[in-house]
Amino acid sequence: MSELQGIPPVTNVADAIAEIPPDADWQHLPPRGAGLAALGMAIAFAIPCVIAAGFVAQLTDWITPWLLAPLVGTLGAVFGAWIGIKRHRRTLWKLDQDGFALRQGRWWQTESRVPVSRVQHLDLKRGPLQRGLRLATLVIHTAGTRMAAVAVSGLDNDDAERLRDRLARQLDHEDDAL
Amino acid sequence: MQAAAPMDNPADNGTEHRLHPWSWLFVLVQQLKQFIVPLLALLVFGGGRADGFWAGIGPLVAVGVLVVVSLLQYFTYRYRIGRDGLSIRDGLLHRNLRDIPYSRIHNVVLHQSLLHRLFGVAEVRLESAGGQKPEAQMRVLRLDQALALEDLIKHRGQLPEAGAPASVADRLLSLPTAEVVRLGLVSNRGMIVIAAAFGGAWQLFPDRVVANFFETTGRELFGYASHLQLGWMTTAAAVVAMVLLAIVLLRLLSVALALVQYHGFLLSEEQKRLTVERGLLAKLRTSVARRRIQSWTLHEGFLHRLLKRRSLQVDTAVAEMGKSDHRAFREVAPIATPEACDALVRHLLPQAQWPRGEWTALAAGTWWRLFLPMAILCVLLATGLLLRSGGAWSLLPLLWLPWGAYASRQRAEREGYAVDERLVAVRSGWWSRWWRFAEIDKLQALRLERSPIDRRFGTATLRLDTAGAGSLAPPLRLRFLPLATAEALYATLSRTLAQRRLRW
Repeated sequence: MSELQGIPPVTNVADAIAEIPPDADWQHLPPRGAGLAALGMAIAFAIPCVIAAGFVAQLTDWITPWLLAPLVGTLGAVFGAWIGIKRHRRTLWKLDQDGFALRQGRWWQTESRVPVSRVQHLDLKRGPLQRGLRLATLVIHTAGTRMAAVAVSGLDNDDAERLRDRLARQLDHEDDAL
Repeated sequence: MQAAAPMDNPADNGTEHRLHPWSWLFVLVQQLKQFIVPLLALLVFGGGRADGFWAGIGPLVAVGVLVVVSLLQYFTYRYRIGRDGLSIRDGLLHRNLRDIPYSRIHNVVLHQSLLHRLFGVAEVRLESAGGQKPEAQMRVLRLDQALALEDLIKHRGQLPEAGAPASVADRLLSLPTAEVVRLGLVSNRGMIVIAAAFGGAWQLFPDRVVANFFETTGRELFGYASHLQLGWMTTAAAVVAMVLLAIVLLRLLSVALALVQYHGFLLSEEQKRLTVERGLLAKLRTSVARRRIQSWTLHEGFLHRLLKRRSLQVDTAVAEMGKSDHRAFREVAPIATPEACDALVRHLLPQAQWPRGEWTALAAGTWWRLFLPMAILCVLLATGLLLRSGGAWSLLPLLWLPWGAYASRQRAEREGYAVDERLVAVRSGWWSRWWRFAEIDKLQALRLERSPIDRRFGTATLRLDTAGAGSLAPPLRLRFLPLATAEALYATLSRTLAQRRLRW
């Protein structure tokens, strides 16, 4: 697709991203967030497991739900925690001249990219547990539909703020983004 | 408290305008619409249980309250036409002042129901990008005021001088009645309406009424049929005849609906702004600037192909969550010949090359990937049935496999993509075909996806996101690309997007 490269860049966007180092490397999430990621996934897996186990136990009359539900719930939580840690380890982000990129997943790998010029607005969220660990969640909003919000949770607080400032800078340059 | 001033000079800063003096009536009608069916249902079916004073007086009190609310809304709603935008003031206790710059308004919709036409008024909706509600909903303005307002927004507040000749709108497409009938024939409107009516009846009326209706009708039909003592041949013929009759009736209903909705369809262009007018009883006029179009879908179903027609739809950034989308600017050409559709695309996207000659097809030997999901589902279904019942009938789902394989091969032959410096396009489908394309400037985000199968075979899927894409619209994604191609395309597109400003 070499014909795409002959397009002259628009100057003000180019100005806005000039301060971003070219070809920045992929960054890992700080390891101290792994526990939080594991906790989140553990809860997310445990609840449906408990409900399903209770339901099955009620239906089959084979075992009392009071035994099966906690058992399956614990198994689900352990599995969820394992997935959470794996996902956390496999989540990489990058900010380069073209914009923000996020790599996720091991089995189903996705790489999402939000070009700088397409950022609509940014959210920085910190839950109570995240605050304790100096972590933050960055949500990048675009005008798209299926990828209207790209969220990265477990970013280092300083990284998240720097990302927000860099990505927000181009917004100021455009007087008529909408 | 004077009545709405005539808009001789609409861009006069300062004077505030009111809605049409009858507007409270239309607000009331709108509010009643939300309650009328439950109210009626309550009066007709619920009368037996909750008899007494309140059952009779309750609805009247409710209507009275609604009248007061509507009147209050009329007396508190004012709008002012400024140089750069519109400002709207409303509310009695909780006051609202809303400034809407003209440049933010993406769609202008004028809607006239029969009642509106009787009073010579129209409802105006101003829509901006995103959001779930229109920026402003003016219910209602006198028709000439509404048209003047639309014109003003079209020119971004600068009215052409009085003496200057009015710019002439180009007629891009108009549908004569024969075309509208064709549109009805190819569409499933009738079926959708019937399904919605059943669903609505089920919700509104007490269960027993609907169930009883079906039971009695069914029993009568069955009793009649058994009374006739037909052979199985005749019964089969009767069933076939019934089904055919139902199909014909549904199509007739579709045609009737199409005639009501699309009679007098006219797509016109004036100063790079597209306007669609249509409707037999209720009239609709919706307009959008050409550059606000985000992506395009060209569709050709089986019936379309028989009639040698296609339909062309566009997405605008105006989100209409949970609303019936028949009011938004969506259909550029509800039905037209393939040549007319292509000509429209070429006219509206002058820099783009359309129709594309060279499509990059799916890599050879990837057709089975299209077949795989349904095949797995069929095998699972057959296994499940086999475990449950064990009869030979449970293998029935497997019969789909040869057909599915054939269909997947056909689809794989037609699937492809084309990218150049202006446009990215995807086509797919065999029985029912579609082409979906968007200007590269209008892309919002990219995603490269690899499933375990992708990693095994060294492929990847590139998904492109645009604004305003409906959940039912075919996705703009390039499937099963060789990894190197996908990565190169991904890198080039993200570089291009980063360097180009987003232009709505």
